[in-house]
Formats: sequence, structure tokens, C-alpha cells
Amino acid sequence: MKKRYTAVLAAALALALTLSGCGGNASGGSDNSNASGGSANASGSSQASSSGEGSGAASGKTVYRTLDEIKESGSINIGVFSDKNPFGYVDENGDYQGYDIYFAEQIGKDLGVKINYVSTEAANRVEYLETGKVDIILANFTVTEKRAEQVDFALPYMNVALGVVSPDSRVITDLSELGDGDQVIVISGTTAETYLIENNPEVKLQKYDSYATAKNALENGNGVAWANDNTEVIAFALQNEGYTVGIPTLGSQDTIAPAVSKGNESLLSWINDEIVALGEENFFHAAYEATLMDTYGPDFEETLVVEGGKVTQE
Amino acid sequence: MDWTVIAEYMPLFREAAFLTVRLGLTGIAIAIAVGIACAVVLYYRIPVLKTLVSFYIELSRNTPLLVQLFFIYYGLPKIGISTNPVFCGISGLAFLGGSYMCEAFRSGLEAIPPIQSESAESLGMSRLQVMRYVIFPQALSISVPALMANVIFLMKETSIFSAVSIMDLMFTAKDLIGLYYRTTESLFLLVVFYLIILLPISILGSLLERRLRYAGFGA
Repeated sequence: MKKRYTAVLAAALALALTLSGCGGNASGGSDNSNASGGSANASGSSQASSSGEGSGAASGKTVYRTLDEIKESGSINIGVFSDKNPFGYVDENGDYQGYDIYFAEQIGKDLGVKINYVSTEAANRVEYLETGKVDIILANFTVTEKRAEQVDFALPYMNVALGVVSPDSRVITDLSELGDGDQVIVISGTTAETYLIENNPEVKLQKYDSYATAKNALENGNGVAWANDNTEVIAFALQNEGYTVGIPTLGSQDTIAPAVSKGNESLLSWINDEIVALGEENFFHAAYEATLMDTYGPDFEETLVVEGGKVTQE
Repeated sequence: MDWTVIAEYMPLFREAAFLTVRLGLTGIAIAIAVGIACAVVLYYRIPVLKTLVSFYIELSRNTPLLVQLFFIYYGLPKIGISTNPVFCGISGLAFLGGSYMCEAFRSGLEAIPPIQSESAESLGMSRLQVMRYVIFPQALSISVPALMANVIFLMKETSIFSAVSIMDLMFTAKDLIGLYYRTTESLFLLVVFYLIILLPISILGSLLERRLRYAGFGA
């Protein structure tokens, strides 16, 4: 029996050491970054090159594939949302659709490679890039300073701010209206969560890990309001009877941009060139008309779309 | 690995660990009660109830906990029964655990040879007394290993509570990773805290197994 405890403790110790060992390697810029999760993408990581110097990120252990390696392999992994209509979602035929996807398809076409969509959740977008599970994140990724320490953002292709939607029976127009027992629904890993934690720590948050569950929770009345990107809450209020966006903008205007692994210069500059080139042909306006018009109508086109990577502040 | 980050996260994880343990143990306690009740029903082959219990066991053992939680948390409100996350977590765990516990107890009960209850009855003991003094203690002793395995299994199942917005250990780690991108530190703390919770249970289980190994006449 005594032997068994020793075995258990030894196992625990070994596990702890392995984990801390990974941490140690990480700061040294090791090339093996698949420590945290199983390596779903074995081929990706074996081809990956170590970022080595230049990445000042806290975790500093990024694996990525360069532009040439992607072209050579014939397919690109793009991380998108599968439950964020109309930006990135899976339609009734099982195909990915939306504004982000429209852009992703163009990237695949211009690179001449097959696109392999990887469904992500808000909270693991950075993770997927850091571990090389995807080459690009095109999942409504808001540019923030904190995130820019971990990943490299390309030029923006959309504007965004935060917004808060609540049921018509009790429309929240200001955060000060929230009472003691009121909880605000947020999605773990979104800018709304970070913003509220930093600027309104008194607001009680109810956190979900996917868009689908958060929406369901709002419909079921588990929280009094839902804070998220305003594009998302406006879309929700337009698509669902009985909801009003009481706070259309909260905090500052931000932008949404594609992101690549920290230090992946070749892919980053290719995407930047692509966005500028597509700007010439008004590509993102076309993308809006193809994917967002049904939801937002023509009124939001100029506010939302960023063409050619140039933000025109209104 | 940045130890200052670990120190900073520690209180959050401690809080989450308490919540995990509280919900886990409550759920498991209810599961054990449900399990005993169901096992007795099955043992005595009480008509009607027996069919209901079998149905419950098949339903609960053949659907994932995640599905059960979704049903309770997102499904029931659609038909007007609203639930809160804590209630949902506990009842989900009890629903799933009840059937596993029942099967553990039943295997214990059925391992006792009928000659024992027949002998006890011939000594003039009532049916209740036979259960209370002869069958149950031995059945419990036999089912302890399965029971403890279930306790550990159920404790670990709490890690999917994040689906219904319960800030348990798993969700805390995921959330912190999403907020501040300190993956290594968060995962390290996650493993350590699960071990802190589960190792004592596992050791307690071994002790219990040893102390309660008295079943089996002449064995």
C-alpha cells in the first residue's frame, strides 16, 4: 500500500516537473511548442521553424510556417469562427460562410492553395497561432495592445467597438443601471470581457465559452444583458425580436485585422500587400454587400468596412 | 514559468478550487443517495419502480454529462423551468453519478450469496434487519473500490461545468489564458490544483478499501 502512495506522488511530481520544464524551454525559445496540447497538426509543427530571436512575447515560443512552406504544402490553415453569424459561421450545408470567410476564400485563391478551416473559440485564438495549429486567424480578431504582444496583426479590414444588448422588457442604456444581482453575459477571451474587467470591475460577469451558449443564456434570461462587439450585438438585435442595443458603443473604436504567429514576417507582409491590393478593387465593400448587407442593411457599410487597410476616422 | 504570475493567479484558482470541491462533493453526495435508493429498488425487484430505475440508468449512463448540462441549463428554460448554473451543475452531476453509483452498489448487493439472507431470516430477522445488519454492510464493503472510482470520475467531470458558466478550475484557467495569454502558468496551476483535490480522495479511497475489507464469510 505504501508503495502505491509513493507511486502516486512520484507521478504527480513528474507531471509538475514536465510542465515547469516546458515553461523553462519556452523562455529559451525552444522549437518545440506543442507542449501544452496534443499536436493535432503534426505535419505543421515538423515543418515549422523556430522564431528564435526577435519575438519579445512573454511566452516567446511561437511555431509557424513561412509563406513558402505554406505554398509548398498546398494548403493553408485558417482559424475562423463557426458560430458567429454573419462573420464566420457554418451554414445549413456545412459550409463556412460570412465576412471573414469571404476574405479567407480570396486569400486561398490568391495564394493558390487549398483552405483548411479550423473552428476556433474566442479564448483560444492566440493559442492556436502560438502552437501553430493555424497559419492565420481570421476570426473577428480585434486589435489590442495586449494581443499584439503575442501575435502579429496585419492591416485592419473592419471597424468595431463594444456594445451591449438587452431585452426590451428592461433595456440597459448605461452600465450604472445594473443592480446588485444583475449579471452581464460576456464571452471568455473577448475584448468586452477585458474592457469590463479593467474599466468597470463592479459589473458582475457571467462568462461563456462560445457565442451559441452566450446567446442562449441571454434568451433564457440568465443575465440581464450581453456585452460584446457592437457588430455582433446589433446583428443579434436585428435578427431576434424583442431585443434592443441599449449601449451602441462602449469604450474606444477599435479595428479588426487578420493575425499571424509572432514573427511570421513573410506571411504578414503578403497579407498586408493583399489587403492593399484588394483595396484597389473595393474588395471589402463587395464582401460587405455579399455577406453583411442582409443583416445590417446599407447604413453600416461605411462605418464597418475598412478598405485597403486605411482607417478613415469619421 | 513566471512565479509572480503564479502568485497573482493563486487566489483565483483557490476560489475556483473551493467552488469545484463544493459543487463536486454536493453532487456526489446526492449521487450516492440516489444510487443507494436505485440499487435497493433493483435488488428487491420492486415492480414499476424497477422499470423506471432501469430507464433512468440507461438514459443517464448513455448520454454525456455535457449533453445533460446543456439540457438542464439551456433546454429546460425553453419550457419555462429556469435554472441557475450552480443548481444545474449539481443536479447534472447527481443525475449522471446516480446511475454509476447505483450499479456500484448493485454489484455489491448481488455479490452476497442468497444463503446469507435466507439464514438471517430463519433466525427471525425482519427483512429490514437483514438488509441493515447482514447485506448492506457487506455490499458496501465490496462496492467501495467501484464507489471510490466513481467519486474520482465524478470529481473530474466537473471540468466541463464551464459550459454553463460556472467558474470552476478549468474555466478559470481557460479564461485567464484568453485574457492574459499566460498559458504555461495557468495550465501548471490547473494541474496542481486538480491534484490537490484528487490525490487526497484517491489516498482516502485506498485507506477506506483497506479498512472496510471485511465482507465475505470465511474469506
